[in-house]
Amino acid sequence: MPVSSRFRPLDHVLTSDDFDRGMCGWTDLTPNFTLPGFNARQSIVDKTQWGPPMLSSATFSYVGTHGSMEGTYSLKLATRPVASVYEAPPAPGCMSIALKRLSQHFPLKELQLECWYAYTPEQDRTGLNEKDIRSFGFGFDLQDARSRAFWGVRYLNSVNGAMQQRWQYMKAAGVSDAEWAYGTEGDWCKKGVDPQWYGRRYPDGRADGFHDVPCGAQQLCYNESDDKINWLYFRLLLDFEKQEYVEFQSGARTFDLRGCSPTFVDPYARIEGLLNPLIWIETDTDRRVFLFVDSVVVSATAVQPSA
Amino acid sequence: MKQFHTAVLERRKAFEGAFAVQPYETPWADEALFFLRIESRDQPRTAIRARVQVSVDGVRWIDEGTAFPVLEGDGDHFVRVRHFGGWLRLAGETEGGGAVLTVHLVLKG
Repeated sequence: MPVSSRFRPLDHVLTSDDFDRGMCGWTDLTPNFTLPGFNARQSIVDKTQWGPPMLSSATFSYVGTHGSMEGTYSLKLATRPVASVYEAPPAPGCMSIALKRLSQHFPLKELQLECWYAYTPEQDRTGLNEKDIRSFGFGFDLQDARSRAFWGVRYLNSVNGAMQQRWQYMKAAGVSDAEWAYGTEGDWCKKGVDPQWYGRRYPDGRADGFHDVPCGAQQLCYNESDDKINWLYFRLLLDFEKQEYVEFQSGARTFDLRGCSPTFVDPYARIEGLLNPLIWIETDTDRRVFLFVDSVVVSATAVQPSA
Repeated sequence: MKQFHTAVLERRKAFEGAFAVQPYETPWADEALFFLRIESRDQPRTAIRARVQVSVDGVRWIDEGTAFPVLEGDGDHFVRVRHFGGWLRLAGETEGGGAVLTVHLVLKG
């Protein structure tokens, strides 16, 4: 699909998804159902209950249908109405996470994710309830011959009802694999993998899976009522030659991330070349919260052959 | 070519008493099937009732008129729905104990 001028893609567009054309391959993130009876292995974080993504018309009771930026449908990530306190392991269903399962077809020099999105809680109660959205984020799960790494940025909006409104990037603290899994031994993870739900969290918003972005405070255009949504621009750029983040853009602001790296772990079996863009949202309380994604473009530049 | 999508609204989730499954937006679809899989029941006599509901906003729900028969055994069941507007969900209750359910919504349009 041609890329709209509202995006700034790199040389090679890998995917250009407008959800007026369907789900475009974005799907629910689930664990591996490889045990007898199609069960998944036990974990301190129950990954079987995340809210399934859907096509949405963004309709509200007293507003009617918002539609999307240039049509009717966006991809809506909807949590279930359940949350633990921020410091506890995420409750089953407190997040919705959508991903697209791709793989690399040339050596990557740079990789970029861009999208237009909006966020609001389910309007099941009166008032202005921005504080009920804990966080949302964008990134990649990537593996090459050297390592696997989660690269991403989240907007920490609220912690236990207290507004935070700052950006954080994926990078693990210096903890053990057991500490990464909230103090449990033998969980299915390594430190650095799945920071969207692993890594201890602290009452001031810090987390073992994320670092605060320098000068990363930002108020977004949430609007003045839970039934009014504004489409927001996000762009994340990564440098694979230097193995570091480059920058991300939120609205009209660009945040420099040069010198910041994710956490690299040894490659996992059977996923060399994995390239999975990720988008997620998490609720802060006992109500559904929604992330509407109008459109997403993933683009890259290739490593040039040596002369 | 038509669009098609299967959503797993509930995945091996334990229910007891009155329940409603995760709501799902359906404005693009012309037809739907709800599949209800009874994975296990607390007691041999445990029964499950479930009915289809529609909504204008995903918050306020009205019975659509389609319902499963009373389900008293493990296994897979389905109902068909058409002309349902922007939202669908299942509501119901378990009787004589709880049950673990998987609910699929299959959409085409």
